[in-house]
Amino acid sequence: MSAKKAKTAPAASRTRGGKAAADPAARHYAGGVVDDIMVVGVGGQGVIVAAAIIADAALLHGGLEVKLSETRGMSQRGGSVSSHIRIGATVIAPSISPGEVDYLLAFEAAEGLRLAPSVVPGGVTIVNTQQIVPPLAAQGEHSYPFDAVARLDDGSRRLTVVDGNAVAAQVGDLRVAGVVLVGALSTHLPFAVETWERAIARNVPASWLEMNRAAFAAGRGVGDA
Amino acid sequence: MDTHLMLGNEAVARGAWEAGVQVAAAYPGTPSTEIVANLAKYDGVYAEWSTNEKVGYEVAFGAAVGGVRALTAMKSAGASVAADPLISSVYTGICGGLVVIVAGDPGMSSGMTEQDDRYFGRISNMPMLEPADSQECHDFTRLAFALSETYDVPVMVRLSIQTAHQKSLVRVGERDAVARRDPGRHADKYCLLPKFSRPLHASLLARVARLRDYAEASPLTRVEPGTGAFARIGVVTSGAAYISAREALPGATFLKLGIVHPLPLEAIKRFAATVERLFVVEELEPYLEEQILAAGVAVEGKQWFSPLGELTPVRVGRGFYAAGLDLPRWAQQKAAEDDSVIPRPPVLCTGCPHRGMATAMKKLDLDVHGDIGCYDLTSLPPVSHMHAAVEMGASIPMEQGFTRAGGSKKGSLAVIGDSTFLHSGLTGLLNAVHQRTNVTVLIQDNSITAMTGGQTNPGNEKTLAGAQTKPVDLAGICRALGVEHIVTVDPYDYEACLEALKAGLACDGPAVIITNRPCMLFPRKVGADGIYEVDAELCNACQQCMKLGCPSMHHAAAVFKKRHKVDIDASTCTGCSLCAQLCTPGAIKKAGDA
Ligand SMILES: Cc1ncc(C[n+]2csc(CCOP(=O)(O)OP(=O)(O)O)c2C)c(N)n1
Ligand code: SF4
Ligand code: SF4
Repeated sequence: MSAKKAKTAPAASRTRGGKAAADPAARHYAGGVVDDIMVVGVGGQGVIVAAAIIADAALLHGGLEVKLSETRGMSQRGGSVSSHIRIGATVIAPSISPGEVDYLLAFEAAEGLRLAPSVVPGGVTIVNTQQIVPPLAAQGEHSYPFDAVARLDDGSRRLTVVDGNAVAAQVGDLRVAGVVLVGALSTHLPFAVETWERAIARNVPASWLEMNRAAFAAGRGVGDA
Repeated sequence: MDTHLMLGNEAVARGAWEAGVQVAAAYPGTPSTEIVANLAKYDGVYAEWSTNEKVGYEVAFGAAVGGVRALTAMKSAGASVAADPLISSVYTGICGGLVVIVAGDPGMSSGMTEQDDRYFGRISNMPMLEPADSQECHDFTRLAFALSETYDVPVMVRLSIQTAHQKSLVRVGERDAVARRDPGRHADKYCLLPKFSRPLHASLLARVARLRDYAEASPLTRVEPGTGAFARIGVVTSGAAYISAREALPGATFLKLGIVHPLPLEAIKRFAATVERLFVVEELEPYLEEQILAAGVAVEGKQWFSPLGELTPVRVGRGFYAAGLDLPRWAQQKAAEDDSVIPRPPVLCTGCPHRGMATAMKKLDLDVHGDIGCYDLTSLPPVSHMHAAVEMGASIPMEQGFTRAGGSKKGSLAVIGDSTFLHSGLTGLLNAVHQRTNVTVLIQDNSITAMTGGQTNPGNEKTLAGAQTKPVDLAGICRALGVEHIVTVDPYDYEACLEALKAGLACDGPAVIITNRPCMLFPRKVGADGIYEVDAELCNACQQCMKLGCPSMHHAAAVFKKRHKVDIDASTCTGCSLCAQLCTPGAIKKAGDA
């Protein structure tokens, strides 16, 4: 679990009573702690669905407030996409402030590199090795950072590197790569596996549920490593 | 109780449905699109994508005058388009409740402008509510219908993109059974002739006074007592700025305004008397600040909080810090991202039907007066061919004016999409024809309103409600407007694009060119029609194909004369063939044709 900054819940919500002992989430979120989770990637990669699964896991767990905000603009046209999810006993703003990300889940390597400065010291960065080179790279002015993962792995952060596509291919289909990444994140959050599975069921077509469950489990394996 | 995580816009739709809304009419626009898109999913609601915001407003207004509850929704620019009925309907009032949603975009994440829509309240005297989260979006919309009928006036709910596009929890309720009211027949109410409109203006002002009394006592004008070190700091705020201010300075004492026109100035004065230092936190213009100052209350505001862009918690926090408050969380400006990483702006999709013409216009070096749609993405590198793209419908009249100003050597033209042409292009073309100006107009017809996510328009066979309808014939419209030179062209045929443009520019009289390929994403994703591949032997790295900016093409590792050869991503190429047509050495071929 990452170091927590004392955030800003009103005094009334700070004491959480007897439930705290039994419920790991209540303990985790006691004292006004808010988990700030940012999912980033490229339009079309499934960032929005991943965010919905994470938010639903917190909601299905119960007793927590969840707020979410998404990149606005034309995410379907191959631009950068980001989704902010904030979970706590009380949450005020739906967006995460710069430098306060507790968990960065990057679906694409360069996007991970771009948002890395926003992670709080001691926060967790999970990066997918997939690289999507934007057309702009061919124009000469900017070059694509093919060394993004290596640059992230400079010893200054808690980093998990996932080859989401490889794991998804093993599971059976590249399209479940996003759920592999959610699985890798899930070990850091205080929700039961069954809760995650219910959250996944809410967000994927029924015929894909088994494959997504397997993808989630495989991702959890990576996250534990 | 039933609680859901909802987008602000979804919550507005839910609140309207619960309030018994029966007619919803709007033109899409970020960030308001999801409101009517969601209302269309509820039973008992007639919902439509209207041709433009003024039409949408008037359809909803007509339904309200006809005795049922009705809603219209628009982005800021749409409120400008609909400003005429927006102002006039406050004079007439309504019969069934009318709620007008206006969603602004501080920060301009969808481009255009970041105008402060709260001034629509002042200019029209329409009462205006401003929710801060999804629960309030839901509750305020419900309340707005009730207020509309109580005060016989349309009620505006003003959203900011932050409110419209965040998700938070909403306790939902059931739908009220609201019977149609008897519309009667009231010329003195609905005919704005001087005889009627003069007394109507007087009663409008009297109504504003009554609404101000309502705002003074309303639970929407809410004091939230502070705690701790900042309890003596008072903050007057509303909407998205309230959320940011609460996050930035949680212990302060807040006066949270839910009604921003007319303002409860007495409540503000009373609040001011209870605190040591009074701040106004508001996005964009000093709208509250100026009215509070005019009421004789000293307040600090825009000297700390910028009038530019979105007021995020960090920007509000930095403002309070600059004002001398001891706030360690905001003491330092922290980096949000690494700016040195290659930017990734949105681009035209692989196989987009707009790409061929954009590249052809660039080749001919024309002065292009664009309009608003996906084709604007070609105003950025590598195509960068556009000279103007300002507001919907501007392309053709601007081209006419430019031609009247003397035009340009290489030629100029107007470029407009099908949805935008039907929104506000027709009258511009009619004018140019009538004035006998030799304009050239390219209608990029992809048979959908694409940029906002694929909404139907009169060019489609289906309406929003799914009913079969007759698609409009764009060439037929142009012919009826008096254009004689009308050419339809396949935008995947690069030579044909060049020829059509040249012929249109050379034509003595107004000329219209219409493209005929559908959008790749909407209404459904178009699959590949064969794919193309690069013969690495033949590729001489000339970079001609890279001028297209196709996201499926990238540089290969191989280099020829210091330049990268190119490669095509087989999993995403849709087979439009444009790159093959631009390839001089003939290195790009249809896969399998080698
Ligand atoms: C007055 C106004 N209303 C709505 C919008 C939002 N908007 C921007 S582009 C667009 C659709 C354009 O469709 P079309 O002209 O067919 O071009 P396409 O995106 O399909 O290429 C809309 C609705 C706007 N910018 N201004
Ligand atoms: S959504 Fe359609 S019109 Fe817009 S860029 Fe993609 S293919 Fe082109
Ligand atoms: S044929 Fe060429 S330009 Fe067309 S989609 Fe494929 S790679 Fe892109």
